[in-house]
Amino acid sequence: MMEINDELKAAKDIIQVFLKSKKILRMYPQNNPIYIKTLEDSYSRFRDFFHYRDEYTLKIRQNDIFHDSEQIYNNPEKEDNLALFFFKDGLREITFKKGLTPEEMEEFLKIISLDFDREVIDDDIVTLLWERDFQNIQYVVDEAFLADEDEQETNSVIEIQERSTDEQNLLKAYEDAFKEEDTVKDVSIVPLSEKDLQLLFKELEKDSLDKTEKLTNILFEIFYASETKEDFSDVTDFLMNAIEFSIKKGDINLITNVLSVIKRILDNKNVDEEIKKYARKLILFSGSEKIITLLGEILDSGQEIDEKPFEDFVKFLEKNSIPSFMKILGELKNIHSRKFVIDALVFLGPKDIVALSNGLNDSRWYVVRNIIYILRKIGDKRSLEYLLKTVTHGDIRVRKEVIRALGELGGSGVLIPLKNCLVDPDIQVSSAALKALGNIASEAAKRIIMDKISENRFKDKDFEEKKEYFEVLSRWKDSEVYNFVVKILKKKTFWGRAKNYENRACAAYCLGLIGNKDALPVLNKCKNVSNKLLREFSYTAVKRIEHGQ
Amino acid sequence: MASREDIDIQKNTKDLINQFSVVLRTAQIHDPKNIAVASAVERLVSIINNLITYENLVTLELRGEFFYFNEYRIRYSLEYLLNFDFLVREFKKRELGSIIIRQKITAEDIKVFINAFISSSFSDNPFNAIEEKMAASKVISVGKLKKIVEEDSFDVRKMIKKTYFNAVSYTKGVINKIKSGEKVNIKKAKRVVETMVDHILEEEQLLLGMTAIKDYDEYTYHHSVNVSILSIALGQRLGLNRKMLTDLGMAALFHDIGKMEIPYEVLNKPTNFTDEEWKIIRKHPVWGVKSLLKLKRLDDLTIRTAIVAFEHHLNYDLTGYPKIRKSLELDLFSKIVSLADQYDAMTSARVYSRIPMSPDKALSIMMERAGSQLDPLLFKFFINMVGVYPIGTLVMLDSKELGLVYESNQLFADRPRVMIITDSKGNKIKSRVLDLTEKNEQDKFIRSIIKTMDPNKYKINLAEYLL
Repeated sequence: MMEINDELKAAKDIIQVFLKSKKILRMYPQNNPIYIKTLEDSYSRFRDFFHYRDEYTLKIRQNDIFHDSEQIYNNPEKEDNLALFFFKDGLREITFKKGLTPEEMEEFLKIISLDFDREVIDDDIVTLLWERDFQNIQYVVDEAFLADEDEQETNSVIEIQERSTDEQNLLKAYEDAFKEEDTVKDVSIVPLSEKDLQLLFKELEKDSLDKTEKLTNILFEIFYASETKEDFSDVTDFLMNAIEFSIKKGDINLITNVLSVIKRILDNKNVDEEIKKYARKLILFSGSEKIITLLGEILDSGQEIDEKPFEDFVKFLEKNSIPSFMKILGELKNIHSRKFVIDALVFLGPKDIVALSNGLNDSRWYVVRNIIYILRKIGDKRSLEYLLKTVTHGDIRVRKEVIRALGELGGSGVLIPLKNCLVDPDIQVSSAALKALGNIASEAAKRIIMDKISENRFKDKDFEEKKEYFEVLSRWKDSEVYNFVVKILKKKTFWGRAKNYENRACAAYCLGLIGNKDALPVLNKCKNVSNKLLREFSYTAVKRIEHGQ
Repeated sequence: MASREDIDIQKNTKDLINQFSVVLRTAQIHDPKNIAVASAVERLVSIINNLITYENLVTLELRGEFFYFNEYRIRYSLEYLLNFDFLVREFKKRELGSIIIRQKITAEDIKVFINAFISSSFSDNPFNAIEEKMAASKVISVGKLKKIVEEDSFDVRKMIKKTYFNAVSYTKGVINKIKSGEKVNIKKAKRVVETMVDHILEEEQLLLGMTAIKDYDEYTYHHSVNVSILSIALGQRLGLNRKMLTDLGMAALFHDIGKMEIPYEVLNKPTNFTDEEWKIIRKHPVWGVKSLLKLKRLDDLTIRTAIVAFEHHLNYDLTGYPKIRKSLELDLFSKIVSLADQYDAMTSARVYSRIPMSPDKALSIMMERAGSQLDPLLFKFFINMVGVYPIGTLVMLDSKELGLVYESNQLFADRPRVMIITDSKGNKIKSRVLDLTEKNEQDKFIRSIIKTMDPNKYKINLAEYLL
């Protein structure tokens, strides 16, 4: 008696395991300690039960579960009813055999933890159990509910069986059998050979490939053969679904192939405008937020993506994809994936500079910096208007990037902002502004730099900063600059001699970079001065000019 | 997920069958002392002893067409197909049902068995001969092949009938629902097909038998189910796994879904179609794709099903319909469904052709089409599946009795189980099933087929006998 009670308790404990696991497995990831512990506890409950019996069998009713004839679970409610959960799909009995492995138990618990009401699952619990084909979990199902008509079998059978075979006909068949009958060609069974099996292997191997591309090919066949607007609209919708499906699977090639066909349709002058309308719809869909967001997930998943198909895909997109790409740019975690998006925007940006420039208003500094980089790479002067607004951005990394962009884009409008940046308290910003001016290489830019050097307080700057000014100035190799620098090299002062030597050393350095041989006499002269700094810089400059480096 | 040990055992059991086969084949050609035999035996010993380590006992039993290892069915393996078939045949020939190995064995133990096995083929009662010779072995014992118990068989038949009509009822429901714009429950379809897959795996012949009855009024629904069953059965022959068989069964069940768009008066026209009507008929593959893609969200199964709906009339050489601009390679499932579709359509009564074709006539026409309309390789498998005498074939036996083929025999294709329907004078009798492999005391077959005839020509109602 004691033993029976213990067995019953062990049986009930397993029901509790199911109820608990349904929640835990849904809530926690597989590597979570709570998840792992739940599985361990669950398995030990099964082991406890198998001390008493070799099989744990549950008989399922609508609101009850029985073990033998004992009710071990009851719930009259519809919500969270374990019995009903099994019962509604036709499960009437489940048996766990003693050989149950931890893996089988986990798989079973995973199945019952699925939220069949909320998740989009095309299988019911019986199908999922069937697909797993457990060795140690067996079940009995009631298939009656599968039939839409209860009487199908009865009706069909009665009808057909009523037409009983006529005895006379049988006799006729019997008599005919002795006559020479119209012969039917012999069909003999040809034994299967090794070669047949090899061919079959190949066939099966091919069959394992993804079928989405094949479906799209078929859809294009249907598209070409379509006659009505409704047909075109349907096929367009199907193609959109196929694109979405393949992207969800991480396949970029398919979307590229689809778009290349679309492109051919659009480029074909013989294709009706009405049809082209649907083709364009597909291109817009491919660049929609839905698709680009999915693409972002692939990029960030760590999956290896080839650059070529990605580039090919981007080439087909329209400007509607720009905001979506900018959106994922801010969300992607992985630098490598951000690079893909940046490259995409560099390609797509020129289709809508305004839309792209909107990204400069993003609250995340790195997004703004990326957009500036993209605008710089595009090199479209229309973006200057938007870039100039970010020159005063709060983040130094943004300011540096925009100064660089302004330098590369050039134009009169950028000079004043760049000049202002030369006095930025952050040396990195002012240095970037200086280089930007050098990049612009215009007369006005030259003037700004020369004016800066001519200022009284210039000499008080740090030596390296001063040297950078002269280095930038050396890009202009005209006589004005030459004379200006020579004048500085020759300049002597009584007060602040050390600072002046620094200026002169920078001037020597600059002349070396300009490479004008006319400067050799004055530089040679400076090679012998007492100031070591000026001496060394002059020596290097002479060498550089003489060797034409 | 199966554990490492489970996977090893599954693999080892397949190897066990394969190696048993290799050993017996080699030993039939060479002397037992030959190196080829010896090394094959060594490998077999190693497999068996490995299994003994895990399981303590090795029982290899033949039930129907399948081997069971310690009560677990050994899954069909394409890789070892020929060796599996060989071993089944050799066991059946000797009425050997099981081999039980109780402890680790040596090459000598196996050689005793080989000797008993091979020499038994010269005996009138091969199983007894083996049993006698193995009596001395403490390690290996043998059991006789169990006959199918008729009562069990009756229950299984009832179950299979139920499954078949459930499927027909479901198909009818789906078509009606789609027509009226209602939501269709695909989960149910999967359950229906899964049950059919189970039956095909366990009782292929019985479910195939259900497809032989073609005289129903509701051709469309029965045809869909029949094509599904025939396709699953062929898929099983090709070694597809259960999941793939379900997908194939689903694709086959829905292959003609586009036909529901064809106006009733065209579809049920008793005379030849006009050009205009043909044009409409030829649209059903495209309509099928559309219906299926609208039915539910896109997934691998929907894609596969839509592909089959589009391609099932395209033909192996792409000369069929719908006409396509760019050449494509037919999907494996499309080629399978196409075979099953043609066979079932030809052997069914339809509005415009009340008298269906006999199965063997249909097969001979299909044979002509193999290589052009039909895939020749798959047709080879198909014909091996339905047999020379497909279920429902009317046969005259050398006993002058008329019978209907009731179950094909996969190993002895010309010796199916036959339901006798007349006595030797041609009088209708209460039917009974006989196995044409039965022999008399002189070791001669009791009955043999001497002629096949068309049951439809004589209005023989197969349902009366086979249901």
